[in-house]
Amino acid sequence: MVLELQKPRPIWQIMFSTHHTDVGLLYLIMSLGFLFLGGALALAIRAELFLPGAQFIGDAMTFNRMFTVHGTTLIFLFLLPFASAVGNYFVPIMVRYKDMAYPKLNAIAFWMIPPAGALIWLGFADFTWYATPPYSIISAPGPAADMWIFGLKILGISSILGAINFIVTILKCKHPDMSIGQVPLLAWSFLSSSLIVLVAIPTFAAALLMLLTDRLGVSGFFNPAMGGDPIAYAHLFWFTFHPEVYVLVIPAIGMMYEIIPRFSRKPIFSYNSGVFAFVLLSVVSFSSWAHHMYATGMSFTEKTVFMVGTLAAVPASAMHVFNFIATMWNGRIKFATPMMWAVGGIALFFSAGAGGVVNSAMPLDFSTHDTYWVVGHFHLFVMGTIAFGSIGYLYYMFPYVTGRMYNEKLGVIHFILSFIGTILVFFTQHILGLYGMPRRIFDYPPIPEWIAMNQIATVGAMIIGVSMAIFLANIIYSSGKGKIANTDDPFGLGGKYYYPFEQKNPHH
Amino acid sequence: MGGHSNWPEWIYIGIVIALMTWVGAEAWNVERLVEHIPADAEVIKVTGQQWFWSFEHEDGTKEIGELHVEAGKAYKFEIYSKDVNHSFNIHDYVVLMDAVPGRVNTVWFAPDKAGEHDIQCREYCGLIHYNMRGKLIVEEPSS
Amino acid sequence: MTSMVGLFLVLAVLIIIPAADYVFAAGDEPGEYVDRRVLIWNLFFRMMTVAFTVGAVVSGTMIWLVWRFRESHPKATPTPYEKEGVW
Repeated sequence: MVLELQKPRPIWQIMFSTHHTDVGLLYLIMSLGFLFLGGALALAIRAELFLPGAQFIGDAMTFNRMFTVHGTTLIFLFLLPFASAVGNYFVPIMVRYKDMAYPKLNAIAFWMIPPAGALIWLGFADFTWYATPPYSIISAPGPAADMWIFGLKILGISSILGAINFIVTILKCKHPDMSIGQVPLLAWSFLSSSLIVLVAIPTFAAALLMLLTDRLGVSGFFNPAMGGDPIAYAHLFWFTFHPEVYVLVIPAIGMMYEIIPRFSRKPIFSYNSGVFAFVLLSVVSFSSWAHHMYATGMSFTEKTVFMVGTLAAVPASAMHVFNFIATMWNGRIKFATPMMWAVGGIALFFSAGAGGVVNSAMPLDFSTHDTYWVVGHFHLFVMGTIAFGSIGYLYYMFPYVTGRMYNEKLGVIHFILSFIGTILVFFTQHILGLYGMPRRIFDYPPIPEWIAMNQIATVGAMIIGVSMAIFLANIIYSSGKGKIANTDDPFGLGGKYYYPFEQKNPHH
Repeated sequence: MGGHSNWPEWIYIGIVIALMTWVGAEAWNVERLVEHIPADAEVIKVTGQQWFWSFEHEDGTKEIGELHVEAGKAYKFEIYSKDVNHSFNIHDYVVLMDAVPGRVNTVWFAPDKAGEHDIQCREYCGLIHYNMRGKLIVEEPSS
Repeated sequence: MTSMVGLFLVLAVLIIIPAADYVFAAGDEPGEYVDRRVLIWNLFFRMMTVAFTVGAVVSGTMIWLVWRFRESHPKATPTPYEKEGVW
């Protein structure tokens, strides 16, 4: 492992490098940058919704642009690149190879993201991250919409290149002494999520091209005025983006699989069931896409099929939770910051999953669909589970990357505030949804329950904002001035267990 | 690690699968009941456009932004859209159906008590989506 | 052999879909005036009862786990793996 910040190098050496840890570092810094940008938009949105009426943002168009860019940024420019950062750092080491299989392709995949991010941020489109036609075709103002489409196109290609790289690295470049059954679960999670990317993304890539030509007026795939069908877009979109949820969540679970055994001082309860659940999840992730579309006028049979397909993903997710609990059982758990984030993530994973079951149960979807319930539900997933796992892993890899320790107290405060904030914001949003508040609205009528719930959510969001500011200060200060980490055992756990920068991995 | 007994996990998975089967069966049963449109339901044509709702009753009466219905009768909404996707929603009666241009979606309900309820749009449809609201006025039965 | 399996899969799907359609389709006979609100919210509260029960068990287990197996717990003992120092 390269300790980048201990041996200072000129910045261009890192930027033009194709070495996996350098590319990983670039991914890491960029994704964190977008985390704070996207988070700032979230705070602005919450501030606006604190009271009915326009106070803070001023007009609906700006608000619509803000939540569109907020969603796009945090999914495509924070969560996905962050997973790639972890994968870049650790997958080659875990399969004991000198680098990724295609280092140049790796660097290209990274360098496609900043221009895509620039297109999304400079355009500032307003048609939600879902870009629903016919709104996105006939109503959304250009060039913002076109810039968004190009940005997503580039990001899609970048994901596919990254996925190919991970698959080849894991399957073809692993050490000959190592069977596929010995590859650590984190690498397995990248293998499964990369396979999903490879199957899912091309569908959306095609849909984006069709959307673009529709906007140019030369085709009418999704434009009813030209004989097209907007529902076709919904199918193509969700065929990519329901599995995409698993692309985000599977690496986060893989990260928890690294953290939890380490800090419980026990091996993983069942490696095999972890692998099985990853593979099963990546297969069933394709059986549930149309549960986002119950209200578009689907037939009873279709709804039933997709409800069953959705519920089928639950046992596999539950297997992971069982594995985590059984790993911690009889352990001697050290609650350092990474472990806190991982355990907090598992705790919220259950609530997120339960909310998802309610959404997929057909009749209930009609009371929750497109309300704040849905907002609360998927944020509980992306923030409560995926971001928690990711941030935990960031703390975990911090000493490896910088050679220094973060400030443990600030890390704990960051966790506690974020945990409280997450519960305040997203649990409240579930209730707000039950009161019927639609999502994506700039203003709402002064219904007392709506106001109360929105205010609790806003307060929660500000708490998260504060915790993230502490986090930012902590990582910036610690990476330059923090205590030098004992790289043999940065968390004081004892034992010669596997650390990524070691040449020999005692697991294998 | 292989070879250790794993029966608690199998029991656990069994419980999860049983729960999910129960959820699926209950949901299926309720959906079957609520989708069952009574034959004597009166048809109301609902049209969504940026950014208001208009309604046409079976007798040709047209209304904009307000919908008058009678308690104790069943109504079947036929939902159209003139421009982009909308979603017709009376949250108090759990009525929700997307208005998709080029399609006709149906949903039905039977109001039981006189009163006023909000109608709103629940699918993002542009600038004034937040204020694409209407009123459902349920009146006492006339006969 | 694989092509045979494929063939049977296709045939099975061709049979299953119409059968499922037939079984799952809501009947054509007119229904009585059911109250959507009552049915849907009842279903919701039934499911919430189960969800909160299961949630209490799961989070209760986790809270106990975190409390009992923390390293500062009086009864905390080193795990068998710590002796070898490899896990």
